[in-house]
Amino acid sequence: MASDYKDLLNEAFSAPAPKGKDAFLKNIRPREVSLFAMIWQQAAYIRVTAWLLAALVVGVAIAGAVLKLESAQNAVTMLMPFTAAVAVIESNRSRRCGMSELETATRFSLRSVVLARMTLLGAAALIVLLIAAPVISAVTCEGAVFTAVRMVIPYLLTMSISLPIERSSLGRKTDLSSLAVASVVAFVIYYVSNFGGAAFTGYLQVIGRWGVLIALGLLALTAAQQWKTINKSEELA
Amino acid sequence: MDIEEIYDKIYRYVYFKLKNQSVAEDITQETFLKYISAKGSIHGYEIKYLYTIARNLCIDEFRRVKPDPLPEDFEGPVTDAHRTIEDRLAVREALKKLDPEDQELLLLRHVNGESVGTICTMLNISRFAVYRRIKNAEERLRSSLEGIKDGK
Amino acid sequence: MKLKVDRITKQYKNKIAVDRISFELTEGVTGLLGANGAGKTTLMRMMSGILTPTSGEITADGIPVNSEEYRAILGYLPQDFGYYPEFTAREFVKYIAALKGIEKKRARKKTEELLELVGLTESAGKKIKTFSGGMKQRVGIAQALVNDPKILILDEPTAGLDPKERVRFRNLIADISKDTVVLFSTHIVSDIEHIASNVLMMRDGQLIHEGEWNGKQGDLEQFYMEEFK
Repeated sequence: MASDYKDLLNEAFSAPAPKGKDAFLKNIRPREVSLFAMIWQQAAYIRVTAWLLAALVVGVAIAGAVLKLESAQNAVTMLMPFTAAVAVIESNRSRRCGMSELETATRFSLRSVVLARMTLLGAAALIVLLIAAPVISAVTCEGAVFTAVRMVIPYLLTMSISLPIERSSLGRKTDLSSLAVASVVAFVIYYVSNFGGAAFTGYLQVIGRWGVLIALGLLALTAAQQWKTINKSEELA
Repeated sequence: MDIEEIYDKIYRYVYFKLKNQSVAEDITQETFLKYISAKGSIHGYEIKYLYTIARNLCIDEFRRVKPDPLPEDFEGPVTDAHRTIEDRLAVREALKKLDPEDQELLLLRHVNGESVGTICTMLNISRFAVYRRIKNAEERLRSSLEGIKDGK
Repeated sequence: MKLKVDRITKQYKNKIAVDRISFELTEGVTGLLGANGAGKTTLMRMMSGILTPTSGEITADGIPVNSEEYRAILGYLPQDFGYYPEFTAREFVKYIAALKGIEKKRARKKTEELLELVGLTESAGKKIKTFSGGMKQRVGIAQALVNDPKILILDEPTAGLDPKERVRFRNLIADISKDTVVLFSTHIVSDIEHIASNVLMMRDGQLIHEGEWNGKQGDLEQFYMEEFK
């Protein structure tokens, strides 16, 4: 019933025209570019290496499937830590190249830049996983999920270790800490899968049963580390 | 909804509370600034928080300054020429007879078009309580209007 | 535009870098003088929203420093800045324009305008790593102006500029200052004398002088030397 009188209520409750509205709102300039558009723009500023590495993983997977190489599984699994390391390096480029201050003082600010890069590279990793895992599992005749988990665990492990190291004073001194972590993880994969014997089979059994949960746990850990990196990115001494 | 509309809504609400144009504008702008300070930007605004801030600022203003016994007498522009003068006067009279709380609800719901959820957060009461109060306010407006029309 | 700095303090574990400083700026040029370690850079970082104050407030027409809206009207040039090694001058300014939320076409146009303004049109397509210190500084000034800021904060902008570049810089600032709040820090007293109508002096984190300097107070250099002996 009140809605019948809506226009009259409008009149009854109207207020005198505000005087300072335009001047005030002029200072609150709206965004010309949405956050989504900005994230997309950042894609152009991620170095080619990152995309090439992702392409390499997919390439090796496909080549392995076509040539029916069982070793493709291992090759791909060993490449994943490096993909993670490169993602961490790209996310931290602002600090490395001395752009942090300038980027922080912008509308979108450094946090958005780091978030954008992590999002884009995370999406790329996901796409790699979605292509490579089924392709490889076609060769090995192990489930696609199992294959995906085998790939994802070294990726997340490398990332969740590299991120805090990059934030630490060691990370500030050297550019290579993430690559070092990746190399260690890759080496461990190589060693255990070729000479591990019982340890390797044991690992595969654990992954077979609990793999998805382990992966989710590592995902949560990685996400927490990424969140910390984003928050600390704008911190000055 | 763009930022101008939000400004208008908050301003209309604060004017209703304080009945003074320049104070209402100051408080409207202060509402925006407080929100920006807390949330880092006005973009991605949540109007329920803007209302909450505005409401609290109005309460502070009441405490600070005794309300003017002779509030500004303002009549807004005519929006629908088809309505009779009697109707217009009747609605105003009927509104004046309502409690400020009822008036506030009618403003928020029917003029500013706010959702029950928003009003809930503002007044910090349950959805059910909001529904009930709005219904009661509408009922009181209706009977008040009937009373006025019968009286004529 | 009223840029209000209200009892701003920055305290570290064993040092107070900025000690309860208050002042207000409007359109025009303000010079910030002080020895190394006086707290100029810390103050400017807080005014640029990149360092959180320990206490106090900074607002521009009421808009708080820790907001997107403040940064949207801000142009900042730090004392030392890096660049992505593959960037040309043009790419650098366009990149910052993108982060300042300027839409692509307008960013492109504005970039060209500014590179011309700072005299880098010819070198716009060259990589910054090939630039001299002065040229790099000019790129820095261009990126600070790309969003038509209402507040311009420049930390030692004339360092590394040769005399000709310095004159060009002064003219540029004088032009902009008509509708921009400009704050720049420097060691070079003649910079202040030439373009600043307002002077702030800092020592040990405190504001020891604030006000106009129109030459009537005598030699600024003299005053400066005495204060900082």
